[in-house]
Amino acid sequence: MPNNTTFSPHRLIKLQRKMTRKGGMTLYRALPFAAVMLLLAVVGAYFALPAEAVPLQNLQDANPDYRQLPFISSRVAMWVVAQLHLMFAAFVLAVPMFALIIEVIGYKTGEKRYDHLAYEFTKLLSVSFSFTAALGAMLTFLLIILYPALTQYMVKIFSWTFLPYVGLFFLEAIFLYSYYYGWGKFNPKTHIALGVMLNVVGTAIMFIADAWLTFMNTPNGIDAAGELVSLSGAINNFIWMPINIHRIIANVAFGGSIAAAYGAYKYLGAKTQEEREHYDWMGYIGNFIAISAFLPLPFAGYWLGKEIYAYSQSLGITLMGGTFSWLFIIQAVLIGNLFLAANYYLWVSMERIEGAHRYRKFIKYLLGAIATSFLVWATPHSLVASIEEARAMGGSHHPILGVLGVMSAKNTAVNVLILSTYISFLLYRRGNKEAVVPWAKTGKNIQLGIFVAVVLFVIFLGVYGYFVEATVRIGLSVPQVLSVLLAMIVITIIDVFLFKGAKTTGEIKWGEIGNRAQYALFFIAITFAWTMGLMGYVRAGMRQHWHVYGVIEDTSVDAFTPTLGYAANVVSVTVFIFFCFIAVVFWLAGLSGKKPWQPKQKAADSGEEAQS
Amino acid sequence: MNNAIKIFIFVLLTIAFYSYVGQMVPQKITYPPQSTELSADLTPAQLAAAGEEIASGKGTCLTCHTIGSPPEGLRFPDLGGIGSRAASQKAGMSDVEYLAESMYDPNAFVVEGFLAGMPSIGGPPINLTDNEILAVLAYLQSLGGEPTVTLDTVLPWQRDESEQPVSAPATAATAPGAGLDGPGVFAAYACSTCHAINDDTRMVGPSLYDVGSRLTTAEIYEAIMDPDATVAEGYPGAAMKAMLDGTGFYQKVSTEELKALVDHLASQTGN
Repeated sequence: MPNNTTFSPHRLIKLQRKMTRKGGMTLYRALPFAAVMLLLAVVGAYFALPAEAVPLQNLQDANPDYRQLPFISSRVAMWVVAQLHLMFAAFVLAVPMFALIIEVIGYKTGEKRYDHLAYEFTKLLSVSFSFTAALGAMLTFLLIILYPALTQYMVKIFSWTFLPYVGLFFLEAIFLYSYYYGWGKFNPKTHIALGVMLNVVGTAIMFIADAWLTFMNTPNGIDAAGELVSLSGAINNFIWMPINIHRIIANVAFGGSIAAAYGAYKYLGAKTQEEREHYDWMGYIGNFIAISAFLPLPFAGYWLGKEIYAYSQSLGITLMGGTFSWLFIIQAVLIGNLFLAANYYLWVSMERIEGAHRYRKFIKYLLGAIATSFLVWATPHSLVASIEEARAMGGSHHPILGVLGVMSAKNTAVNVLILSTYISFLLYRRGNKEAVVPWAKTGKNIQLGIFVAVVLFVIFLGVYGYFVEATVRIGLSVPQVLSVLLAMIVITIIDVFLFKGAKTTGEIKWGEIGNRAQYALFFIAITFAWTMGLMGYVRAGMRQHWHVYGVIEDTSVDAFTPTLGYAANVVSVTVFIFFCFIAVVFWLAGLSGKKPWQPKQKAADSGEEAQS
Repeated sequence: MNNAIKIFIFVLLTIAFYSYVGQMVPQKITYPPQSTELSADLTPAQLAAAGEEIASGKGTCLTCHTIGSPPEGLRFPDLGGIGSRAASQKAGMSDVEYLAESMYDPNAFVVEGFLAGMPSIGGPPINLTDNEILAVLAYLQSLGGEPTVTLDTVLPWQRDESEQPVSAPATAATAPGAGLDGPGVFAAYACSTCHAINDDTRMVGPSLYDVGSRLTTAEIYEAIMDPDATVAEGYPGAAMKAMLDGTGFYQKVSTEELKALVDHLASQTGN
């Protein structure tokens, strides 16, 4: 006899189809530790409540597939909260990574300034961790309340992952607070070990949460009825590892940019030259981390895209060539701006390096290459045109610019952008140095030769892509990427040896940099956050009217995919709220350096005493 | 000016700029596909016509395939003229069998020069019913050939009735605020006060009896939601927006009702 209290996925799918709402929402956003116990109680009660005696109809009435919030659509509420949670989670996971690396540098070199810098980064963590947990709790409650059927299905699939997740979250809290409060109170090696454990646990948490998220896009390990067959298959679905890697890199880029924005914020409010020097340096290091992580990010993106296509060609085409193709034009504007701003910051920063004026003449060429690549990348394949314009062009593709709107051109452009930015870094690095090794001239020529050869090779493959079949063309991006990566590694290795024991032509005058450079850092942080919001949207949105692609259909009132303009507005609101929260984090982090409060009367008394 | 205020304004301006960029690209709402009702007495030609609608809608065929004048560097075979060459694509298979296999079991035979990867359109996420697949098959036959299949055609890949995909019911029936069909919305918001729909009578606004042949669905959508974006020559601007504001259209109409209205208008082709 069937048990009315048991919800099989098959029945859930049917129930789902009777109800309403898009859930594109990602279960990925984690279960925060602050709400874990309460959450477990709620989930437990949810499953325990339906007793044998309760008729199924009553159960359905009490537990609809979707519920609505007043004033705001369920989808937007979930969307904003999930994205905010993701942004804070990214920050909380990223900061310990580079804080630890900086701490290790300080320990190895014995330079205290690195230790202070690492501690300053870590100060941003505790409040952010609390925000992450609070937003995660909110997200979880919204999921349970607004999307009960989807939540039930996901719980059924992933219930065995929840306990380790909760355990890891407790460990994360322990390691994070012991790392922060234990600064300077442990043996340095012990403290570094705490940092390592913090990173290991944080990464493990992200990997578990990524399994939930990626399962929704590329479900695996289930049978045709949606029943779990293999938990390991469900976890290790097509895009689980690509997302894990992409997120680790992106989190570092994002976290670095927020930390750089903190440095910029403190620099603008600095009262002393010492403060200006410190926060100028902090902003530079944060930005260096952000851009260093940003450069390999497109390569991780290629892998992710490849796996999406491998899972489902139609899902991949929906993402890149169909409904969302114009989203990638917006993304091109964002990434182009990131490259421009990052290079601009470096060029402005060179003004504070004595001797760097030697390289100023190259800036105009780099700017030209970056601007041209930016324009190519942002060129749409088909244009929005009136009938008259389309007739004049002979179709929706511009006769000249149309050829630039395909991946052959765009892949080439992004590789040239990466190389150009790398060259800006290289020029900055050698700003006040002069190579003295006997093979200096040869070394520089080899570097130049590698650079020119790789640029020509990348452009050749880009042009070649126009003359071959799609199956061949898709594969050309791999040698393009590998050649650029290889060139950057080889040139860097040569550079390290080239400038070993180099003659210094002047000092880096920290603290002597225009305010416009600080605004460039803010611009980079905002653009990173907006890019995260946009890509978070497309990652969930590409499922279109599916909560779990091909398994749980979205039958809610929000099952449609909104316009990109609407999505852009939601992303903007989310980013704005995020920066309001971040302002609070910055303010709270700044309080630790304030002098202790004293009662006014006491202060007055002490003033009188001083006079007498 | 205080640094905090400067930073706040800078953040706002940067965010606003990106929102602006988001408005500059084409704006399109994508609705979940809807099942097509197919009556049993459809002729092959009528079935092919229904199949064309399914292929471009629920079947999502045109997401990957082109039909005639293909761009360079295709990822999937162009379907132009497939009706004339289907019978010779795979030895021992008729055109109907080949096309049916291509849809039910697409990776059983992959056209040379292309990669496997097409999902079975009878299963998720596309979920076409056997009848809908027959309609698409008739449509493919009509591309360069004569459609022959009807809903009585039996294919070895067809499933039992109990295994047919469960189509989602139209959300309009259950969604809050929904309930009106296209003509119902047209009447409820007094559109006929200003627009003729049965003939080309010129009223305060242009006649809509052939609007489906003049405007795309997206343009009709824009004409309703932002009537002053493009005002038909010889007609007053601002009037329609004021009229719809007056009826409370923008506050009351549900997403489903709006879609029903747009579909209703798109079907007015002057015939």
